[in-house]
Amino acid sequence: MAEDIMESGPADVSDNIIVCNDVHKWFGNFHVLKGVTTSVTRGEKVVILGPSGSGKSTFIRTINRLEEHQRGQIIVDGTELSNDVRNVDAIRRDVGMVFQSFNLFPHLTVRRNITLAPTRVRKWPQSDADAVADSLLERVGIPEQAEKYPGELSGGQQQRVAIARALAMQPKVMLFDEPTSALDPEMIQEVLDVMRELAHSGMTMLIVTHEIGFAREVADRVIMFDGGVIVEQAPPEEFFGSPQQERTKTFLSQILG
Amino acid sequence: MHANLFSTWYNSALTIVAAGVIGLALWFGLGWVFTGADWRVIPTLGGQLIIGQYNIESACPGQNCFWRPQVSLLLVTALLGLAWGMAGGGVARNFAVGVTAILAAFAFLPYSFESMGLDVRLLLLANVPAVVIGWAIARYTSLGTGQWIAILGVVTFLVTLVLLRGLPGVPGLQPVSVIYWGGLMLNLILAVGGITLSLPIGVALALGRRSRLPIVKILCIAFIEIFRGVPLITLLFMSQVLVPLAFPENFPQNSLFRAAVVITLFSAAYMAENIRGGLQALHPGQAEAARALGLPGWQTMMLISLPQAVRNVIPAIVGQFISLFKDTSLVYIIGMLDVVEISRAFIQGNAEYLASAKELFIFLALVFWIFTYSMSYISRRAEESLGVGRR
Repeated sequence: MAEDIMESGPADVSDNIIVCNDVHKWFGNFHVLKGVTTSVTRGEKVVILGPSGSGKSTFIRTINRLEEHQRGQIIVDGTELSNDVRNVDAIRRDVGMVFQSFNLFPHLTVRRNITLAPTRVRKWPQSDADAVADSLLERVGIPEQAEKYPGELSGGQQQRVAIARALAMQPKVMLFDEPTSALDPEMIQEVLDVMRELAHSGMTMLIVTHEIGFAREVADRVIMFDGGVIVEQAPPEEFFGSPQQERTKTFLSQILG
Repeated sequence: MHANLFSTWYNSALTIVAAGVIGLALWFGLGWVFTGADWRVIPTLGGQLIIGQYNIESACPGQNCFWRPQVSLLLVTALLGLAWGMAGGGVARNFAVGVTAILAAFAFLPYSFESMGLDVRLLLLANVPAVVIGWAIARYTSLGTGQWIAILGVVTFLVTLVLLRGLPGVPGLQPVSVIYWGGLMLNLILAVGGITLSLPIGVALALGRRSRLPIVKILCIAFIEIFRGVPLITLLFMSQVLVPLAFPENFPQNSLFRAAVVITLFSAAYMAENIRGGLQALHPGQAEAARALGLPGWQTMMLISLPQAVRNVIPAIVGQFISLFKDTSLVYIIGMLDVVEISRAFIQGNAEYLASAKELFIFLALVFWIFTYSMSYISRRAEESLGVGRR
């Protein structure tokens, strides 16, 4: 079982794993998402850029329904997100998420953090789950930390555990919500290395980040979010080389300095 | 020491004055304890402080029933031994050994054999083998797990109640009405029952109060606010009238049962708010991460949110336990002779001991303090082992 997840399935590139159609979202009176339409193919790596408050985090959180959208349609791997709890739980099992603040469970050991969902949700025997956890910790480079508690690890190590925890469920898609924004500069690289390796293994990834270098290197497509809509999307060479929209140019000049 | 106590002239003056006050207090305090005070009232009350009127002639006609609380005690010591065997040392060992040593020492109290028989002394000494047996069971069988200790703890509590209450028709176990139960035994029964039940009921109320179903939510809020809003003493009074209405007419119940129900629910209402506070203090990212992994809502609550919430409010929970233990004294209001009330009644009924009231109540204060401090000590050690504040 441990071997299965080392190789994420080969991509059927023509097939859309995520389809978003005119997605709207309000927080009270505040219109956060104003009609987002896009789709992601299997194996594609999409980097989402945009100023804070542009709705980019909210958008990827609607994909596993941590935020409910109020209008439009989101279809993940053929299942439409609706109020049906069974659909939502089924989608969440197949969509891994990595948070800005790690959100590891502080009362559980690193190994238990990783095995909790596989044993409870996938009903794997504990021994199988432990084997998977250990091989994932090996993969993210911290096999010796399995028995520690999250509070005993550095930020970079915690985020790598969080990635291992999400991967343990053998997701079809991984969502990253600013995975390096809460890290000290010297720890950013170790997390990006893990994500880079994951990208090369063929995983479908949606990444909200400000790491432009990483976006250039890994992304198949870069999406620019502003004011709750997609302003521009293009392959990275094109996006960074010759941005079409004025808003994108200003944003890039601001973050590239 | 120099830096702390004698850094400046006024700190030095303060230190000397404080030392003088403490020294004088100790001198007169200890002087009174060892020479001035007359402690004879305590051995005179003796067993009544422990079991109240359980063993008087009208409670237990024609028989000696003292062995029944004593055997219950043996079960408790065996349980402590079990916990010691499971933990292997630390707090559990200190407690098992400490309690057993005190109980065994009681066997050598300088009473005459008429007032404290050989059987009573032997049953006290039997606590030593009991604790060893418990320890050995945990060590050499599969019963030495937390789960089993919890189950056996509940079983012990129920067996204790049956043993004390008696079974009609069983020789040697004739029923003893609860109106005769008293002393520290009564305080402990109410406290243990209340503590064990108020935590789960409190958790249920806290979850109910956060429920999305309006009816559940409103009922829980109403329950919490009503039980928190009325003095316990009023509730105890009302219980004698109201609790019978809540149960079928021929449901076996008595004043002890009614008091236990009221104390438990009163404490549960406070417990619910403690736990709700703990849940609200959790970072929402915890539940989000669990849900994002596909864990259903109730598993997220039971495995992620609740354990962290409870861990974070251990001080408040233990405070509530301590408060509950002390509040068990209030059952005097419905005519039960707990350790405080039996002391008060004794002083009132025996004018020659009127002057000894202060010794008796200082002693009672010490007894309560030992129990509550033990709880506080255990909770601190529990917090340490759970790593509260560190992770």
